[in-house]
Amino acid sequence: MTMDCESVRRTLGAWLDGEVSEKESREIRAHVEACPSCRAERSRLERLQFVLRAALEEGASKVTFESFWHGIERRISQGRVRHREFWDWLRPVILPRRLAWVIPVTVVCVLAVLFAEQFFFGLGWGPRSNVAAVESIDGHGFNLALLRESETKTTVIWLFEDEEEDEPAPEAASTDASL
Amino acid sequence: MSGRPNKSMAPDVKEEQRVIVEPSDWELVRKCQTGDVGAFQELAAKYYQKVFMVILGILNHREDALEIAQETFYRAFRKIREFRGGSTFYTWLYRIAVNQCIDFQRRQRRAPAEVREAIDELLYERGEHGTDPYDALEGKEVMSRLLAALNDLTPDHKAVIVLRAVEGLSYKEISEILGCSEGTVMSRLHYARKKLQEKLAHFL
Repeated sequence: MTMDCESVRRTLGAWLDGEVSEKESREIRAHVEACPSCRAERSRLERLQFVLRAALEEGASKVTFESFWHGIERRISQGRVRHREFWDWLRPVILPRRLAWVIPVTVVCVLAVLFAEQFFFGLGWGPRSNVAAVESIDGHGFNLALLRESETKTTVIWLFEDEEEDEPAPEAASTDASL
Repeated sequence: MSGRPNKSMAPDVKEEQRVIVEPSDWELVRKCQTGDVGAFQELAAKYYQKVFMVILGILNHREDALEIAQETFYRAFRKIREFRGGSTFYTWLYRIAVNQCIDFQRRQRRAPAEVREAIDELLYERGEHGTDPYDALEGKEVMSRLLAALNDLTPDHKAVIVLRAVEGLSYKEISEILGCSEGTVMSRLHYARKKLQEKLAHFL
């Protein structure tokens, strides 16, 4: 008998729970078999464990699974209803029916602004590229042509009469013009 | 206390049983994660009694225990997508249950008289339902005193002793559930058993 009663009693519960090393387990077993007092302590611990488990089992035995599950199922369906109610509440807040036109109108406005850049490229947004545009006005024989080039910000103005039709520059430029 | 626990020496080891049970748990968990309520119902059927026993042991009140046990499973269902299998399913489930109990007790400090009434009610019900299987052990008296003695323990001490008694969980599993060290589990168990033995000295 290498262990004394005090140290055995301190580890008796852990021994019964299978939570001691093999070496300790052998020592405790040897002590308990030889010591009536520690053997009685072991019995008390086992009895306590048994009574505790029995009391709890008895308390739980009257709860049928059907009634237990019913309570869980009710919570799950209530949770789903709450979730749906939340979205039903949130949807009109973020998108009221009377404001349903807002989204298409917004899309149209954004597209319009982006397209406007193509026509009024001096506004400063949209993609940067070198664009040349020619505009011309026929003034009954006295014509005006305007060339604008975005990269160098160059503007060229021609004033010419009909007789000068064979002048190539405005004609050539006007083929790429965006009016 | 040193070295690895000697599982082969344990009087009521259930490791082999758990190893067999676990794969099917995982399959059911995976189904639950896709929203399969039927699979969750199977898991609930498997664990509801033990979860209820643990909660009853901690709260010491049947109606509250039933309410909290159902809430535990509901929360597990809601959170099951977050379960990645890092621990066993029942460890995860017991952790939710114990946290629910602790939260509940913080919210609602039950007066001792009410606990007494709950025990009396339980004993009355047991009397109504005929044969008492614990008569040979002076069952009613022992049970009454045991429940009262349990109530004098702190929730942490109750949790360790109940988890060990109900499921035979290892100290490692209990430490994972309670978020403490195995040494703490051992000392809490030792203290809780000692207190219960003192209170039930004439009956054990």
